Amino acid sequence: MASKGLQGFSKSLNTLRAFGSSKDPLTQCLAPRLSRSMATETSLPSSLIQGHTVVQNVGTAESEIVPSSVLTTIHKFPTMEPIRFDSYSSKYLYLPLRRDLLHRAVIFEGDATRQGTASTKTRFEVHGSHRKIRPQKGTGKARLGTRQSPMLKGGGKSFGPHPRDFSTELPRKMYDLAWRTALSWRYRKGDLIVCEDGMDIEYPKSRYVKQIFEHNRWGKPDGRSLLITQDFRTNLYQALEDAGDDGRVQQVDDVDVKDLLELGRIIIEKSALDQILREHQSDLITKVRAAV
Amino acid sequence: MPPRLPALTAYCRAAPSYSAPLKALLTPFLQARNASILATLSDTPGAYNKRIRRGRGPSSGKGKTSGRGHKGQKQHGSVPARFQGGQTPQDIVHGKRGFENLFSLEMSPINLNKIQDWIDQGRLDPRKTITVKELVESRCLHGVKDGVKLLARGKEDLKTPINIMVSRASAEAIKTIEDLGGKVVTRYYTKTSIKRLLKGESESTELPLVSNPGAMLSAAEAASTSSPFMYRLPDPTARKDLEYYRDPAHRGYLSHLLAEGQGPSLFFRTPGTTRRKKAKIPGAAQAQKDNRLW
Repeated sequence: MASKGLQGFSKSLNTLRAFGSSKDPLTQCLAPRLSRSMATETSLPSSLIQGHTVVQNVGTAESEIVPSSVLTTIHKFPTMEPIRFDSYSSKYLYLPLRRDLLHRAVIFEGDATRQGTASTKTRFEVHGSHRKIRPQKGTGKARLGTRQSPMLKGGGKSFGPHPRDFSTELPRKMYDLAWRTALSWRYRKGDLIVCEDGMDIEYPKSRYVKQIFEHNRWGKPDGRSLLITQDFRTNLYQALEDAGDDGRVQQVDDVDVKDLLELGRIIIEKSALDQILREHQSDLITKVRAAV
Repeated sequence: MPPRLPALTAYCRAAPSYSAPLKALLTPFLQARNASILATLSDTPGAYNKRIRRGRGPSSGKGKTSGRGHKGQKQHGSVPARFQGGQTPQDIVHGKRGFENLFSLEMSPINLNKIQDWIDQGRLDPRKTITVKELVESRCLHGVKDGVKLLARGKEDLKTPINIMVSRASAEAIKTIEDLGGKVVTRYYTKTSIKRLLKGESESTELPLVSNPGAMLSAAEAASTSSPFMYRLPDPTARKDLEYYRDPAHRGYLSHLLAEGQGPSLFFRTPGTTRRKKAKIPGAAQAQKDNRLW
């Protein structure tokens, strides 16, 4: 009985998904939107818009209010006790999702990571004499030159791979925007957990860390987690060495945009988050020389 | 003995699960899977271009002859662009037009609307004289060759009175700036002098080298003029340049050397300024009429 009712509920959720909605279900009406709203559409009162910018999306009929700054909670690690709020400009942590920018950044990083060491020998590099193997005419068989011909077994490879540089270029401002878009996406989903500096545990015990992950629902059943610290933390890093199933820990200098998008959530130190935002804000800082 | 782990974790609060608590409620009933966004990342459709691989089958559209057609030199090789099979090519028949003047000066144009835009952005200071150096440093101009000419595109947009010194200026630009209460001065620059100005080796000034061209600088005067600048700005010597900068209509910096009512030309006299050499003899015209033969 209860399951039947929930089946109907899940059906409505499926129809909701079919309409291509990507927002939090709590903020939406669960009934499918089959007709337009009966209410008269009007603009928001000016008092509400103060401190916010009204963004008109071309696709949707409604206009989205973008706040000028957003709040994050700073937690204590590993107790997850909330300590204080911190505010960040929405240009850092509340950017709209741009999948094309994220794609370009991930591909750019992947290209740069490529080793490019695949190598083959051409017919000129294969070792051996360049003597003509058999006479041009008279043998009744195909004409052949050297033993290194790509037609023959043991010969060179015609257009095989050679060591080369696969790295590509991406405008710095686009890359920086992609970094901040990834963090904004995490923040909007609620998967960005900011902790105090000095994120470490008392004992380098992997069993302890596994229990912490289980308790906080950070582990494998919940999509795994990425911990980002400013420096090397002896106990934390040692404990998480065998916890690959549940997550991983990285220093902020070793993190890529792809790492931010990969796992289920990010638990990051505040100073590490500030470092990332500081290093990737070239499109917000103008380098124009002012005369006045 | 280290504390028992269950007791420790009891102190930990449940981690904030902001992401879709409704999903957590319905997990036992729905097939909730943590799908990675990496699986759905893609660039915009216009970023993808079909790569043409020639000679790879009929369905590709470029198979078999690979877009080259059948037989002939064009299939097997290439023909030069202007070649017409032996017939005299068109550029030989009709010939080339004109020539390239190596002595022409390349003046970089700068329009009034861009100057106003730069002033609005705070990149140019309207209280100071705007010279070639300020324009290049604020990136209003990207590199200057022989000089800068001030032109009047967007003259309605200019709102602030400015004090500007460039190589040349159009009549409309001069009028617009002076109507607003500004000042235009055109000054002679060479390629080298501009380079020195930009490096800071020359001082930007609207005074000519010698204020009284007739007098010679005495040795003492020359020795006493000491300045941190290595080089001075040159003055024009060619007739064309002299005439340009002597012309008050161009707001030339040498126009103060002209006498009242004198034209800028070095060759032509201004009409009405010189007296006739021959004095008129009274009755000479009547005598000429009377002495006519037929």
